[in-house]
Amino acid sequence: MSLLRVENVTHYFGGLRAVHNYNLRVEPGQIRGLIGPNGAGKTTIFNLITGIYTPTEGEIWLEDSSIVGLRPYEIASSGLGRTFQNLRLWRHMTVLEHVKMAHYSKISYGLIGAFFGTPKRHREEAEIEEKANSLLELVEVRPLADQIVTNLPYGALRRVEMARALATEPKVLFLDEPTAGMNPEELTRMMDIIRRVHGELGLAIFLIEHRMKVVMDLCNTIQTLVFGEVIAEGTPEETQNNPRVIEAYLGEEVVT
Amino acid sequence: MGVRTGVRSGELSTGRNRLGQLLNRIWAPFSQVPLLGWLLGALIAVALEQLLGTYLARILGMIKIPALFGFAIVLKDLALIPSAILYVLLIYVLPVAVIARLSASLANRLAAKLLSFPMWVSVIVHLGLLYAVLGLWAGVSDYRTLVARLTLIGIMLTLSLNVVNGYMGEFSCSHPGFMALGAYGASVFTMVAFVDDRAFGPPLLPPALGPFMFPTALIVGGATAALGATLVAIPSFRTRGDYLAIISLAFTFIVKSFIENLEVVGGPRGLGSQPDWANLPTVFVWTVLCLWIINNFVRSTLGKALNAVRDEEMAANAMTVNTRRTKMIAFLFAAFWAGVAGGLFAHVLRYINPGTFGLQKLAEVLAMVYFGGLNSVAGPIVGAVSFNLLGEALRPLEVYKWIIIPLLLIVVMIFRPTGLIAFREFDVKNLLEPKQKPEEEVEHVAAAR
Amino acid sequence: MTFFFQNVVNALQWGSFYALIALGYSMVYGVLLLFNFAHGDIFMVGAYIGFFVVSGLLAVASMSSLLLPNWLLLVLGIIFAMFLTSFVGMLVERVGYRPLRAAPRASAAITGLMIGIILETGNLALLGARRVSFPSLIATTTYNIGGVSITNKKITIVLVSLLLMLVLHQFVQRTKWGMAMRATAFDFSVVPLMGVSINTIAALTFGLGSALAAAAGILFSVAYPVLDPYMGITIGWKAFVAAILGGRGSILGAALAGFLMGFIEIFVVVIPNPFPTMFPFSLFPAPYLFPSTLRDLVAFSIILLILTFKPHGLFGEAHTARLRL
Ligand SMILES: Nc1ncnc2c1ncn2[C@@H]1O[C@H](COP(=O)(O)OP(=O)(O)OP(=O)(O)O)[C@@H](O)[C@H]1O
Ligand SMILES: [Mg+2]
Repeated sequence: MSLLRVENVTHYFGGLRAVHNYNLRVEPGQIRGLIGPNGAGKTTIFNLITGIYTPTEGEIWLEDSSIVGLRPYEIASSGLGRTFQNLRLWRHMTVLEHVKMAHYSKISYGLIGAFFGTPKRHREEAEIEEKANSLLELVEVRPLADQIVTNLPYGALRRVEMARALATEPKVLFLDEPTAGMNPEELTRMMDIIRRVHGELGLAIFLIEHRMKVVMDLCNTIQTLVFGEVIAEGTPEETQNNPRVIEAYLGEEVVT
Repeated sequence: MGVRTGVRSGELSTGRNRLGQLLNRIWAPFSQVPLLGWLLGALIAVALEQLLGTYLARILGMIKIPALFGFAIVLKDLALIPSAILYVLLIYVLPVAVIARLSASLANRLAAKLLSFPMWVSVIVHLGLLYAVLGLWAGVSDYRTLVARLTLIGIMLTLSLNVVNGYMGEFSCSHPGFMALGAYGASVFTMVAFVDDRAFGPPLLPPALGPFMFPTALIVGGATAALGATLVAIPSFRTRGDYLAIISLAFTFIVKSFIENLEVVGGPRGLGSQPDWANLPTVFVWTVLCLWIINNFVRSTLGKALNAVRDEEMAANAMTVNTRRTKMIAFLFAAFWAGVAGGLFAHVLRYINPGTFGLQKLAEVLAMVYFGGLNSVAGPIVGAVSFNLLGEALRPLEVYKWIIIPLLLIVVMIFRPTGLIAFREFDVKNLLEPKQKPEEEVEHVAAAR
Repeated sequence: MTFFFQNVVNALQWGSFYALIALGYSMVYGVLLLFNFAHGDIFMVGAYIGFFVVSGLLAVASMSSLLLPNWLLLVLGIIFAMFLTSFVGMLVERVGYRPLRAAPRASAAITGLMIGIILETGNLALLGARRVSFPSLIATTTYNIGGVSITNKKITIVLVSLLLMLVLHQFVQRTKWGMAMRATAFDFSVVPLMGVSINTIAALTFGLGSALAAAAGILFSVAYPVLDPYMGITIGWKAFVAAILGGRGSILGAALAGFLMGFIEIFVVVIPNPFPTMFPFSLFPAPYLFPSTLRDLVAFSIILLILTFKPHGLFGEAHTARLRL
């Protein structure tokens, strides 16, 4: 039984077919990659799986239950955490508050606790804070915990997003271009962190990337998406040597 | 030209520096006075006013104690400016400053002592002192009592509107509507149950029970408002920003128009003779309760979900935040407190009509929130207090008052677009803490250096 | 049937007022992405300026014993008042909105509200609490067309409004300035490329909108000649609602929604009561379903419903802009 199964998902934006007949199986502990040229529909696939859009057709299963039609927060709390291609951070909140917020669905003190500041609430908030701090440690932003996110350097923001996604305690972590816009130093650091997160938390990762180096180094299996359709699926070596992939996407990069 | 402006701005900045230095020098001796010390000072000052105020006012050529720090008197008769200033100096500034300074070390020790007990002990003591100050000050005249009660109600309104407009970042215009629902809900409850009046006939319950049931009436008012708020909260699931602003505005119009057409509560003529149960202590207790609960809420992770929805709704959703529930809570919660404030308002004025809860009220509450500061608890307090006091103090200017206050607000908007005290957490412990380390510790630090 | 057309005429008249005012809201929104909450009061200022202009013209005419026909006075009055009021609009933009262009939109909204209050109070302070009454330039003549009675005033109001809207349309479509306005509405960042500064465009837009509001003010005074400082509040807010209903920034939408607003308001209270002997919504058995006191209630409920199901208005597209703190 796969952890996550996507079966024959198709999605239209009005007349535009953004994703066609997409299939995916994620097994526990895998790191999978999704590559493809700009506008291929990669982010749309993330949005479909995480419930931001509802697929026009197709089925999505997380473990034994169908998650099509669930609201995004329900999907997130049942075990799919994600980051965004264009950072979507809360611009007036501190780093620590970001990570605490992602524990929302696990809060059990309820409105009574929130209104009256019951001991249970203080206990729970303290627990959440401790967990959040250890995640910040993991992605190496602990010293910035009390900063408002708008004060942070770009590389750190991506890591905050990752810590925040991890705080939802995902079974599969979705990373949408985790190294976009990073300099080589930040890039290496990010790759180390992804490996460490994968090793320590033992979750499955599904990532979109434009930089071949990253996918090649990290992923077990890679799908190549062009115009909403998967044209190739295989190990990094297979993908690198697949003529269709080279033609559609890698071409220039392999040459240079 | 360039050089000239350079020089001028240079002058300006040194001028500002000098002013800053002066202020710093004046402030320096008081930097170690804890809140407790200030409250003690204020208590002595208002007690002094009770004892000597009338004599002093007479000596200074005024008929009676100036009601609001002399503003109103001065505006009526400019010749009284020196007397008013002298009065304020002698009765308020001097005693407060002297007592606060002199009692600083004692107050610090006391504050530290209080904090060694559970927090609530210290909170109760401070609140008790605050109430004593307020009560003594307001006790001088009925007018002051009225102003104090309306100001406290203003604080509740501002705090609750800030939940939606500040913490959740919507531009809600429905507060007058919520307030109206609360005012009418609570009034109908008290009048049906406890008052023999023309509108609802003899009381259903013994009137002697009334004052004890007043909290129930206010909660009924709040609940009515919260019920009405679902009308705005549900559309907020799908739409935000301008359209929600319009929906909430339409809501205010609808409530007003609805009440105008409800003959049982007097229609456009309004509803009067509510029992006089909203006295100063009652209003004070409810305001404190409101402040405490709202502050608790916005500092919890559940409450901060409002900020998450405001700043990036999609991310909130993807981080397991139930955004619909969050919006629902925000509107209902804000509406509840607006309703309670409305209920108190009705029982303070003891007459309400639908016209009270129209666009004028809307402009007023919005002004208080944006003047004081968004996304903060101290902001609304500052906003409501300054707005209400200013409104009363400038009353002698008649129409010109409504030119000065808007101008002031425009200036604030230009220089501080989110209000005076915005995006600040209100930390009670920080507020109550002694402002001076115990002596040994200071010595330690000195020794270490 | 005649009854129906009678109400159509009334609705067209009110619709003209709402449409002219709503256009101002909508144009400013299109260009600056904010609502000018002082606009209703600019309508009031326009009416007063019109009053002074027309009174002045009358005085001059009688002193110099010039025999100007009344319709010419009205036309001159409208033109002068539009011209003068446009400067009021530009002043409002300069003082109240330009310093806040980078600020959150909610702050600009508050400034607008406050400027509105200042305009009302300023008027009250300058002219006192007495109401003034607009000189009646047109003697009412009533035409009877197939049982529907139409006054010459109503015809004038509707025709002048339509004419002004046509002129606006031509201006926006044909002239360089109109193109620049549309370009700004489309994309803020292209404006400098066109060699026009955003400040100029903003001033122009406020000027145009205010001129239309002034025209609405005078036409309103022709129909309802008693002026008071608060006359702009309710009509202004309703026109604002119409502007939203039409879809933010959509000029055609604003005009149509203005008329729609007029129709909703007029027709809400003449819906026949299906149970004439009972009284579902009024205290007494009545021929109409809703008594006229329920006009606002029903009209706003309808608008609430429309906006709940069409959250971007009737002619608007989903904007990405929203209130930013
Ligand atoms: N909300 C939307 N409405 C309409 N079309 C959309 C929407 N979102 C995406 N699209 C279109 O769908 C296609 C796929 O977009 P998507 O963002 O998924 O591409 P991508 O593979 O993530 O590209 P990139 O590498 O640039 O991130 C594009 O043509 C895009 O314009
Ligand atoms: Mg993408």
